[in-house]
Amino acid sequence: MIDLLFSNLNILTISLIFFGVAFGVLVSAIPGLTTTIGVVLLLPFSFYLDSASSLGMLMGVFVGGMAGGAIPAILINIPGNPASIVTNINGYPLAQSGKGDFALGLAMISSTLGALIGLIVLYLISPELSDFALKFGAVEQCALVLLGLSLVSALSEKSVMKGYISMCLGLMIATIGLDPITATPRFNFGTVTMQQGISFIPVMIGMFALPTIIESLIITNDFKFPSLNKNYKECLIGVYDALKEVIQSKFNIVRSSIIGSIIGAVPGTGSAIAATLSYQLTKKLEKSEDNDRMSSQGIISPEAANSSMSGGALIPMLTLGIPGDPVTAVMLGALTIHGLEPGPLMISTFPEAYYGLLGSFAVSVFFLIILTLIGIPFFLKAIRIKTKYLMPVIFVLCIIGSFALRNSMFDVWIMIIFGVIAFYMRRNGYPILPLILALILGKILEEQFRMSLIISLGDPLIFFKKPISLTLLIILGCFLSYIFAKFVKNLMKEKKNV
Amino acid sequence: MSNETNFAPENSGAKFFHRKDLYLALVLVAFGAFVYYEAGKFPPAPLVLGDTINADVFPKILVVILLFLTAIIPFEFKLTPQKVEKIDKERNQKTLPITWITIFLLLTIVFLTDFLGAVLTMFVTCLLLPLVWGEKNYVAVAIYALLFPGFVWFLFNQLLGLYFAPGLLEVFFK
Repeated sequence: MIDLLFSNLNILTISLIFFGVAFGVLVSAIPGLTTTIGVVLLLPFSFYLDSASSLGMLMGVFVGGMAGGAIPAILINIPGNPASIVTNINGYPLAQSGKGDFALGLAMISSTLGALIGLIVLYLISPELSDFALKFGAVEQCALVLLGLSLVSALSEKSVMKGYISMCLGLMIATIGLDPITATPRFNFGTVTMQQGISFIPVMIGMFALPTIIESLIITNDFKFPSLNKNYKECLIGVYDALKEVIQSKFNIVRSSIIGSIIGAVPGTGSAIAATLSYQLTKKLEKSEDNDRMSSQGIISPEAANSSMSGGALIPMLTLGIPGDPVTAVMLGALTIHGLEPGPLMISTFPEAYYGLLGSFAVSVFFLIILTLIGIPFFLKAIRIKTKYLMPVIFVLCIIGSFALRNSMFDVWIMIIFGVIAFYMRRNGYPILPLILALILGKILEEQFRMSLIISLGDPLIFFKKPISLTLLIILGCFLSYIFAKFVKNLMKEKKNV
Repeated sequence: MSNETNFAPENSGAKFFHRKDLYLALVLVAFGAFVYYEAGKFPPAPLVLGDTINADVFPKILVVILLFLTAIIPFEFKLTPQKVEKIDKERNQKTLPITWITIFLLLTIVFLTDFLGAVLTMFVTCLLLPLVWGEKNYVAVAIYALLFPGFVWFLFNQLLGLYFAPGLLEVFFK
């Protein structure tokens, strides 16, 4: 199996992985842009590259993006991604005290090691989970998709109900096109284009990228990154000091990375939860009177957890076909562009693609180490780009990415309409991720749901008669009961207040 | 009691229901009703396949769930007051005129894409957006608007073979 890891690598693939890592670090270092946008922006190239090169490049963005979010969090007090909020607490004061290079070094090196541990967890767990998932029939798959979607919707940061509404809307959009069982055209309004259904790729591009363009006007007038006031050599000394500190904090790295990997494997949890949890635990476990050391631990812990989450997040996507976060949702899109179907059969059906993806992950981690050790001063110069010039580039790439799917302006319209819808959804607290995941998984859910009913001659109790599906539904039931109990508690509290 | 007093103010923590969420809920109900009506028009599956696999079953189930959830939304501020308050803070921020202009501009650009062609569309995007957003360095904008579309055209059209509709530049493309 190990030979398959690097069998797809050639000069082009390696160069694209390097480009992907550097691009990922840069994109997430720019305030307002995220790793998801980075992956979305490079998605158009997937149509023209072979699967190994394209997926390797996107994997590079994924790995690099997890690390890059710490740069603005440390230097300008604006977290590049949600997980960097915790890094910001200790990183910014360190930078203010003239140790910006040291803080950045800590963040990037911890990220690299976290990603490495995440990769090991992914490598060890995925085959086992895939083997288990092979036992899944229509009934179990239906229950699993339902559980995955419910988790993602319920863990929406702002509103659980709005998360579920968003999921419902996604499932409704997924019903547009030919019915998967009877091939009856649905909601196509007599048009051939709509009969093919709505592809999730333009929807995803529009919903993730367009609100960024529109909101960039609200949140920012071009940021000015402060200079570290150090030359290249002095910066590197700070980075190497950070390396020594990280080596001394090996237990923190391993603990935080394992937390990150486990949390990443649960759909919908996200890197912010992983980073916060590991930071809280570190605060409890690490005791030192040295303030600088405590600040260092406060950077190492969330960054390691954040990056190891990338390995964990790939587990449900690759083995069960259920993406748990926006980046893996886009990665799933890239896999389908190349005719690869993630799920329990992926490892046995496409072993080269699967292990190639893991190999790209490993190479990305290697490049991240190199970029971290020598590239931080360069990144600080490269990210001083004006939003006014950056956003048109994003918009043009969004149009190309949507158009390239089927050479059709229909998909461009879908992209822009859903982009505007996403802007309003975000403003009103409706999360976007459940809608996109439901759109991706909707066809599978409906097909398996109806197949289950056909098998059982219309008896819905079949979902409770099979042990695996029963277990999954019990987990779902417990989860929903917990949410309901929370609501009741809040209501009682308010009654008491009144 | 007048109608007005029954409505909660836009911020949460008020009497009965949340005004903005109610409006959105009404939009969702109308959408659900439309989907239900359209689903009713699907032809039934052959009798031999039974009731459970008619094409309208799944969309109708979704509509019922959507309506149930939507019914809770206007009262959600009582269930999770802090979260709704947080959402209110964000949505009560005034939408700047430039945001509307940008949305209008993006829609117009896409609307004109067929007429302008791909390269001109990119040129217009790169020229207009920075200027509308207040960029004063006109020379830099002009250079950027020429170079970036040129680069994209070379990369995607010449190297990767993506079809770029010629539009107004048809003469040159021929």
